[in-house]
Amino acid sequence: MDAEAGHHKPAHAAAEDATELSALRAYPFLKNLSETVLRKLRPNLVERYYSAGDAVLRAGEYSDAAFYLKDGILEVRVTAGAGRHAAPAAPNRAATASFGGGLQRSGVAADGTIIVADMPMDVSINRMVLLEPGELFGELNALARYAVSSDVIARTPAVCLAIRAPALRMLFKQKEVAEFKKQVDERYRVRTLGSHLRQVELFAELPGTAIERLRRTADIVSYEPGAVIVEQGAPADAFYLVRGGNVKVSIDAGGGKLAVTYLRKGEYAGETALLMNEPWPFSMQALEYVELIKIPRAEFEAAIRDHPPVERQLWETVVARLKERGHASRNPMVSQYLQMAMDTGLIHGESVLLIDLSTCTRCDDCVRACADTHGGTPRFVREGAKYQHWSIPVACYQCSDPVCLVGCPTGAITRALGTLEVTIDPGTCIGCGNCVKRCPWGNIIEVPFSSPTLNKNIDLATKCDLCVGRAAGPACVQMCPHGSATRISFKDLATVSQTLSS
Amino acid sequence: MSPVLPFRPKRPAWLAATAATAAVSVALGLGARWWRGWSPGDWWGLTFGTLAAVLMFLGALYAGRRRLLVPPLSTAQDWLQFHIYGSTLAGVFVLVHIGFAWPNGQFGWWLLGLTLWTVGSGLLGVLLQKWVPALVAAQLSVEVIYERIPEIVSQLQAEAARTMEGASDVLQRFYDAQVQPALAGLSPSWSYVLDAHRGRNERLAPFEHLRSFIGDDDRNRLADLQAIVAEKLEIEAHYSLQRALRLWPILHVPPALLLLAAIVLHVAEVWYF
Repeated sequence: MDAEAGHHKPAHAAAEDATELSALRAYPFLKNLSETVLRKLRPNLVERYYSAGDAVLRAGEYSDAAFYLKDGILEVRVTAGAGRHAAPAAPNRAATASFGGGLQRSGVAADGTIIVADMPMDVSINRMVLLEPGELFGELNALARYAVSSDVIARTPAVCLAIRAPALRMLFKQKEVAEFKKQVDERYRVRTLGSHLRQVELFAELPGTAIERLRRTADIVSYEPGAVIVEQGAPADAFYLVRGGNVKVSIDAGGGKLAVTYLRKGEYAGETALLMNEPWPFSMQALEYVELIKIPRAEFEAAIRDHPPVERQLWETVVARLKERGHASRNPMVSQYLQMAMDTGLIHGESVLLIDLSTCTRCDDCVRACADTHGGTPRFVREGAKYQHWSIPVACYQCSDPVCLVGCPTGAITRALGTLEVTIDPGTCIGCGNCVKRCPWGNIIEVPFSSPTLNKNIDLATKCDLCVGRAAGPACVQMCPHGSATRISFKDLATVSQTLSS
Repeated sequence: MSPVLPFRPKRPAWLAATAATAAVSVALGLGARWWRGWSPGDWWGLTFGTLAAVLMFLGALYAGRRRLLVPPLSTAQDWLQFHIYGSTLAGVFVLVHIGFAWPNGQFGWWLLGLTLWTVGSGLLGVLLQKWVPALVAAQLSVEVIYERIPEIVSQLQAEAARTMEGASDVLQRFYDAQVQPALAGLSPSWSYVLDAHRGRNERLAPFEHLRSFIGDDDRNRLADLQAIVAEKLEIEAHYSLQRALRLWPILHVPPALLLLAAIVLHVAEVWYF
């Protein structure tokens, strides 16, 4: 295993080498690609070798790669509970086999089988299923940043091609691999889309048949960063559900665009225009690589026509959205805050430390409190970006989709399910610096550390962990004598504008 | 742009309770004094004296706030607010305790003097801690960590020296005469507490004068040098203001400790006699 895949047995890691172009052509979905495209893909295509017993993926971890099994046999195991919290379970076991049939809300079938979206088969709890050469798995984890749902262990020596997310996205654009993209999308449609639709509050009460119809007719579309998804004033032709990435919503104002809000994974848009039979009342733009589920107008209208409770809820949503837009139009500063949050990446933050510089006496009690809580080494620096009279210190934002988790070779970085804190276990960290390089905000710092596990000095990756386990919450906030330190989630736009305008 | 200090107490209820308690205590003290006379040693006098001493000792526990976070004082901010309101009230209680009369004896004067100094310097600190951050936020665009300021000034000096590579003699002479002295070291001044832009325009004016006498290349260098000096002036203001916030406790903490010691002596003296 290489440094990224061989989390648990670094000492016995299988060798990994840069894969030559000729070797890449041995893969059926790569054989028709031009040399230029293959060269571009190559940095993100890595052949990995596993010894029997090595872990390819571990349940609960984040992975930035899909895996194509070239040789050998892999075991997929789901332990009780794992499949329920990681990648969403597909709604229908039968659907996997027949691409049709009735629906169940749970991801657990009547016979106890768990349908895991990121694996190409269904798995029974505490039992294993085998993967054979030619199988592709983990693409949903890589593209939509879901935690891995199952342990994937090499039963025999195995070879996998790890296709990292950038390569997956590039592959999807090549017409030579249209079939490959179709296969991946179809699997998503069959195994996961139903449960995604079900998670949309709007569709929660729809009967199974209606969900099934939406599932069959929905398109999966992707956009590059900066791409315009819809233009204000254009005819509204579809309902959009965000599958991954962040989307900026803006309205035309005074020759410019006024940011109104942003949409995250699981949020949706288009209901207002469709319901009121109007053109798009706003523009949508991809802030990063974005994947959307597009439900055509006719299908959407049919769903609400047949199900009055959905229409009622839609009207409520419409009123809320109109209020939001009206608020943004009347308060241009709110738009400015949103734009700042989008420009700086703060929109990813679930718990961002802000310091009000108009009341902060620079006493550094926050830093001292942090150091006291963490054995003498503070987890943040009281300097960083400044916005108006707010300082945004170099402290972990606890991102919604923490990219630092992806590619940690030892699994030292974790986020307990249902919590905000992304933590690094000093006993497991080997000081490779992967997370430090991956954090787009530079919020992970390295400190010299004598590792008892490795019995040597390493550069331990450290970051704010929200003082996990401390009953009173983050010490920086509690110990600020002037109440200048605060933590906010940039998911909560009302709190963001209220805080920043204070 | 001057900072505006809105009267925005962080604990309005505490402020109201403190003001009400102080007003009632003063009225009680003055009324009792008028009605039947007042002695610090009688029941009422001792009560207010004891309350003042207790509040002062409790207020002093602010120093140990990191280990004393228990409800209702479960945050450092709670502790600071208690320290401020409690100690101010203690000052009022001392005045009631002595019956609004001059003290008897040298030790009494010391006690009163230390009390007034401690409470006054504390309130000055409150004012400074509200004013300086607001001033910095309103007038200064840079934000620096106090301990790193000398290092940042050295970096600015090096950056200015690099900017001068290939400069004309005219600009070199200006650099030697104006820029280098402006970048040399730090000259903290309390006057920044009133105006964080103090002297800024005067110190940047020579750059404007020189601009029309030099070529295009040197103009760009001059603009860079001006930006560097402007940044240094802001950092100097930061240094002065943060220094003021760090030095102010010298006026408050040692007298407060002396006061606590004097209170102990005073209590012992009362018990003894």
